Amino acid sequence: MAARTLRPLILICDDELPLRELVKAVLGDRYRYVEAEDVEQAQEVLKESKPEAIVLDVMLPGKSGLEFLSELRAKRRNKEIPVVVVSAWQSADDQRTALSAGADAFVGKPFDPKDLASVIEALIAA
Amino acid sequence: MIAVSALGAAAIGATLALFFVANARLKSANTASARSATVSAAAFDVRAAVVSIDVALQQVVEEYNSKNLAQWRHASRSWEAPAAALERAASASNDQQERRAHALRSEIRSYIDDYGEPVVGIAKVSPAAVRSSVAHTEGTLRLDQIVTDTDSVARNSAVIAADRSAAAGRLADQATIAGIVALVLTPVLLILLGLWLARVVADPLRQTVTAASEVAAGNFDVRLNEGRRDEFGELARVFNTMTESLAVSRSELIERADSLERSERHKSELISMVSHEVRTPLASVLGFTRLLLERDLPEEDRRRYLGIVDAEATRLAALVSDFLDARLIEEGRFSLRREPFDLRSLVREQAEVTLGHDENHELELELPDEPLQIDGDRARLAQVVGNVLSNAVKYSPEGGTITVGAAEDQGHARVWIADEGTGIPPEHRGQLFQPFYRGDAAAAGIPGTGLGLAVSRRIVEAHEGRIGFDPLDRGTCFWFDLPLEAAAANGRR
Repeated sequence: MAARTLRPLILICDDELPLRELVKAVLGDRYRYVEAEDVEQAQEVLKESKPEAIVLDVMLPGKSGLEFLSELRAKRRNKEIPVVVVSAWQSADDQRTALSAGADAFVGKPFDPKDLASVIEALIAA
Repeated sequence: MIAVSALGAAAIGATLALFFVANARLKSANTASARSATVSAAAFDVRAAVVSIDVALQQVVEEYNSKNLAQWRHASRSWEAPAAALERAASASNDQQERRAHALRSEIRSYIDDYGEPVVGIAKVSPAAVRSSVAHTEGTLRLDQIVTDTDSVARNSAVIAADRSAAAGRLADQATIAGIVALVLTPVLLILLGLWLARVVADPLRQTVTAASEVAAGNFDVRLNEGRRDEFGELARVFNTMTESLAVSRSELIERADSLERSERHKSELISMVSHEVRTPLASVLGFTRLLLERDLPEEDRRRYLGIVDAEATRLAALVSDFLDARLIEEGRFSLRREPFDLRSLVREQAEVTLGHDENHELELELPDEPLQIDGDRARLAQVVGNVLSNAVKYSPEGGTITVGAAEDQGHARVWIADEGTGIPPEHRGQLFQPFYRGDAAAAGIPGTGLGLAVSRRIVEAHEGRIGFDPLDRGTCFWFDLPLEAAAANGRR
């Protein structure tokens, strides 16, 4: 364990500052974080670094989170990064749309902190 | 239809009439023939009587004695009955025959009176003198004339009877021909009538049945030919009117169903939008509360998280009250707190609140140097400017310049907010100010309740103002007009 000097990097893409804070608080200091308020910023982040997982909101100003996800999955680079979609739109239809766009997991808002933590852990371990 | 039926009936009637006439003529010819026989018989009797007179006269001339004289007296009287009978019989034929028979009677009487009696008188005194040839010849001539005339009466009668009989025969022949023609013509006419009935009745009936089936199948565009001037023309007109009103009712029903469907869709979009808007701050409140309860956090983090919970709960409360407020205003249940103020300051304030921290959009303020004094509810009008501004931001996600301006315009203060955004598709322009109407916004993932513009219109109209928008080459320019304070004061006086 001590050999692991670098903690995994997680990209949090959400336009709501409180939500980004919540994700960081839930996952704690086992991870490093990089934040984006919209798709454009998220794309900038991906140019410079390769996060181990992405926590993605759906309703973002400008391009939606799902559009970003579809584009990510269509590219060669970074297509393997696990993505958790976190959205207040959480009907069965919304979940299906998110999964078919390429999401590895779906967490509805509001969520139980333990659920989000275990989903992220599972995805990074895999 | 009536014309053809009448033609058939007339043909048959004419044939029957011809038969009746021919029959009557034949009867009349029979009567004439019988009369001619009577006349002939009477003429024969007259002739016999005349011969008896002649014989009796010759005997008196041969030998004047009482026996022969008595014979003569008898003969010179016994002709009258057959002559009268002849005259009666002849008068039944025609006037000419009657005249002839009458003349015959005079001739006979004249023969007896002017020849017979003098000859008898002379024979009494000088029998030799009456045997002279002159007297004899005179008697023979007169007698021949009487006999000829008698025969002529009988012959004429026969000729008349023959003529009548021939005419009746000809007519009977014509009637027979007409009957044959009628026999041939009647079935032909019946067939023509059938064909005509089929064309006149069956064809339009079939067309009506076809059209009615089409209507039953839901095609309301079918129309029957109204050109006919009979009952079918009337049926066609009534049918077409019925079909037209059915089509109108159906399109009204479809329109109503569409509008209900639209309003249902708006409502369900609104519900999901509200639940989304509520869930986002709720996620922070619940998430941080759970963390605070479950984890042993440093005091610094605890305070920060509690601050976020407080802020998000406050936002939640504001959201709910905003929504309720919007509903109240939209339903017209609000009152204005009017006060005189300068519209420029309100526009500047709102522009800075909304766009001050927006790095995505450029703000361009166009305000006049002179104040725009109006009498209105400052908070409500701030809400209007805020709504329109936040729309300008939401609907220009790519950024660009947002121009906010105000100016005096013909006794009004006009405020405008122009963006360089996606613009409003023509099909949504008519319903923009309808409550809950959001066009394609829900599909595009743009948040909102669809109440902002509806509420804004209510507020502007409550200030006796107008609100509208003009599509631009790129983006949209929303504007509203409010009466300036002086004009508003004048209006109230």
